[in-house]
Parts: sequence; C-alpha cells; structure tokens
Amino acid sequence: MKDEIIRKGMLTAGIIFLVFFCIGPFIWMIVVSLSDSPDFLVRGQYIFTLKNFIDILNIRNLHFLDYLRNSLFVAGLTSIFSATIGAFAAYAISRIDFRGKILILVSVLGLSMFPQISIVGYLYKIMSSIGWINTYNALVFPYIAWTLPLSLWLMLSYFSQIPSEIDRAALVDGANRIQVFSKIIIPIGAPGFLSTVLLLFMASFNEFLFALMLTTDFRARTIPVGIALFEGLHGEIPWGYIMAASLISSIPVILLALFFQRYIIRGLTGGAVKR
Amino acid sequence: MNKEIREALLFILPLMLFILFFTLIPVIGTFFVSLYRDVTFLTRKFVFLNNYVRIFRDAQFWKSTLFTLLFTLASVSIEMVVGMIFSLVINERIPLRGMVRGIALLPWAIPSVISARVWQLIYRYDYGIANYIMQHLFGVSVNWLGSYSGAFFSLVLADVWRTTPFVAIILLAGLQTVPETLYKQAKIDGANIFQRFFKITLPSIKPIIIVALLFRTIDALRVFDIIYVITGGGPGGATNSLSLYSYRYFLLGDFGYGSAISIMLFVFAFLISFAYIKLSRLKEIAL
Repeated sequence: MKDEIIRKGMLTAGIIFLVFFCIGPFIWMIVVSLSDSPDFLVRGQYIFTLKNFIDILNIRNLHFLDYLRNSLFVAGLTSIFSATIGAFAAYAISRIDFRGKILILVSVLGLSMFPQISIVGYLYKIMSSIGWINTYNALVFPYIAWTLPLSLWLMLSYFSQIPSEIDRAALVDGANRIQVFSKIIIPIGAPGFLSTVLLLFMASFNEFLFALMLTTDFRARTIPVGIALFEGLHGEIPWGYIMAASLISSIPVILLALFFQRYIIRGLTGGAVKR
Repeated sequence: MNKEIREALLFILPLMLFILFFTLIPVIGTFFVSLYRDVTFLTRKFVFLNNYVRIFRDAQFWKSTLFTLLFTLASVSIEMVVGMIFSLVINERIPLRGMVRGIALLPWAIPSVISARVWQLIYRYDYGIANYIMQHLFGVSVNWLGSYSGAFFSLVLADVWRTTPFVAIILLAGLQTVPETLYKQAKIDGANIFQRFFKITLPSIKPIIIVALLFRTIDALRVFDIIYVITGGGPGGATNSLSLYSYRYFLLGDFGYGSAISIMLFVFAFLISFAYIKLSRLKEIAL
C-alpha cells in the first residue's frame, strides 16, 4: 500500500509542523521570561531567574495585577451578561412566530460587519459626555453590544437543535414563556450556554481597540492595553517583564483552550463537529 | 398587539437596547461626524463631503489602502493553505487528538497583543531569535521591522500564526460533513490520496471554504492590534493599515477626518464581501 505510506508520512509531518508552529513562540516567551536579560543569545550566557515574575507581582507601580483584575472582571461580566441576553433573544427568534424576526437577525449580523474603528470614535464622544471614560462601564457596555451578534448566533444554533415539541407541550400544560425558558430551554441547552460563555470570555479578554481608546490608567485599563503600553522607567522596553506578564495572563485562556477545546470547537462550528 | 408578539419583544428588548445604544447609534454618529469639521478646540462646522474630498487627495490614505489590501491578500491566502493542512491533520484519528486540537487553538486563544509582543521580540534586529537563526543558517541578519518588505513579511507571518487556528476549525466543520463512503468508493476505484483530496474533499467543502474566506477577509481588512504593537505603522508609515490610519486622526482629536476614513474602510469591506457572495453564487450556477 504505497498510498497508505504517503498518507502516514504526510500526517506525521503535518502533526510535527502543527505542534512546532503553534508552540514555538510560547517556548520563546517562557525562555525569555525566565532569563535575567533578553539578549542572552548574543551574550552567549543564559542566567535563570524568577526575578521578572517576582517583580511584576510585587512592584505596585507596574500595575500588572490591576490590569489582570480589570480584565478578568470586565471579561467575566461581559460574557455572562452577553450570553444571557443572547439566549433570551435566541429563544424568542427560534420559538415564537412573529413578523420582523428575519429583519432583526439580518440587521444584528449586518451591524457586526462594521469595523470596530468606525464605532470607537463616536463611542469615545458618548463616554466622555457621560463621564464614563476610564471606568468599567465604558468597557462592559460596549463589549456586551459588540459580542451580542456572536452570542445570538451561537445560542440560535444550539436552541434550534432542541426539539420544539418539548417546550410546546409545557406551554399547553399551562407554563408561561419565562418558566419554559428557565426550566426547560436553559437546562437542556447548558452545554451550548457554557461554550458561548467561553467564547465570549475569550473575545472580551482579548479586546484591544476599545480598551485602548476608552481607558486612561490602571483603574480600568485591561491586560492587552497594559502589555502594549508597558514601558521601562527609562523608556527602554522591559522584555523580561512583558514576557512574564504575557505568560501569566495567557494562562487562563490557555487552560480554557486545552480543557474545553471540545466546547470551543463545537461553539465555533455551530455544533457541526461531532466526535 | 397580540400576546405572542408582546412576549417576543420582551425577550428581544435587552438585545435591541444594547445594540441600539452601543453599536447602532455610534455607527450612525460616526457617519454624521464624518460630514463635519470636528476637531478638538475648534468650533464644529458642517462641511458636507469635504472630508471625503480630502481623502481622495490624500496620498497617505491611498498608500494605507494599498497596504491594507496587500496585507489582506497575502495573509488570508497563506492562512487558507496552512489552515487546510491543520484541519486535515486534526480531522484524522491521530493519537492524543484532543491534546493536538487544544494546542492548535492556542495561538488564537491568547490576546493578539500578547502574540504581537512575542513576535516583536522574535524579530528584533540585534538579539531576536529570527536573526540568530538567519546568522547560523545563512550568515546574514535581516532588518525585519526596519525595511518595508521585511515589515510586511513579518506582519503577515505574525497574523498567519495568530489566525490559522480559526481557519482550521472552520474547515474542520466542513471536513466532517464529507461522507466516509465517498472516500471508500474512490479508493476502490484506485484514486490516490491527492486525487481524493482534489476531486472529493475540496469540492465538497467549497461552501465552507467561502465562509472561512469571507470571515477572514473582513477581519484582516480591519487589522489593528498586531500592527499597533509590532511596527506602530512604520517604517515611515509603510505599514499603516486603514484602522491604524483612522486611529491616528482620532488621537490627534480630528474626529471628522478619522470618522471619514473609518467609513471608507467599511465601504471597502462591504464591497469585497458583496463581490465574494456574488462570485460564489455565479460559479455555483455555472457548475
């Protein structure tokens, strides 16, 4: 079977390529974060140290822990609210027959075509006029709106897999819509709800442009902005700190990706991937 | 109004309110601001299409547009090829498949700013590992971020690394819909592995390839994060994407012109998506 040998060979090469390509930069991140200086390649001497980690966790002026707390708070709040609001709307669209639902669906998805840059300028004006610049509100509210199209889309694909006979029977038995939604749809759709929350958490944890424009300091600034604007006391780029901070802040999403890959993949593909 | 519609509205209302206030109003607002001279410390003045006239005369705008289009073309086409390879790999029954799938997700899962910072360090001229490897293999150092072609290539590679997982996962969904029996039959008919890929796999997943292409193109056109971090638009404004160019004007306080640039970006993205959809339909009719 010459064909089978070619297939095996290409598959092995493919796996090696994939693993090296995806992990390589992470290894570099770890190596530099554990070094006393980022230029060890040309110096020819690598000195192992935990100083970068100890410093970013202890030097309060670097505000790393502030950024991390802000990020976790904003992303956590956004993902739970957005998934819930998306689930409400998806329930109505998948279960109740009413005119204009196609219009709502198309306009919500159409609005997500607008690049963030064409929203952020005016958003800045709104936030300035109501005094929300550099607060959690300035991020959480736009993030919920920004993630809602994805949330709606994901929840719709899950709810459409739940047979509508189940909740119709409950309605006939005298339950109201809220009861049907909270007692039947949400429990059955729990895995879908979980993968939606995960994807929305990642999206808002990673968001950069809104956070860059709408926050000014450690009181609301998130990890991506903090890491992008990290500067040493003398204007040099503190690579050790940046890599250590990057590593620590990647850990939550790396763990999510590794443990919940099944849910994430299912979420991204609208439930199309089995196995 | 009957009860059904009232109930439906109640369920949809929160979504509509959020999108109204934090997406729809800002979008409409941006369009109106683009018709004004709206600069911090100057009085607002309605100038109708003046900002757009200024765009047509702005050489830097067209340079940005060209860069954005070339960047999109290069990174999306490489991502599609590498993403196809990845999805074929993670679709097979390989050992530790769950683990490999998880690893394949990592570059996409971490914040884009973090991946940009890592690549920025890799590309450093004096002590980056890219030049260390180049020195040992070819005895030369490349000015990755200081020359136009170097910066272009560097940004494309960083973008490919970050977004290939997304393409792979979308294509994976397509691969799983291809019935196993088609491959078995083709094997019996003596088709080799390449013939099976080009004659069965590729045509079967064409619709999903177009979906992935569309998603990635729209996303690549608005590229901001990695360029902001890695080159900051340089060298000499050579890698200013349209998003970054617009952002610069917001930063300067020129909201009118910045808004007009961002509206143009939307128009480009809209036209290109429209063309994709038209072309893919036309081909389906032709087949």
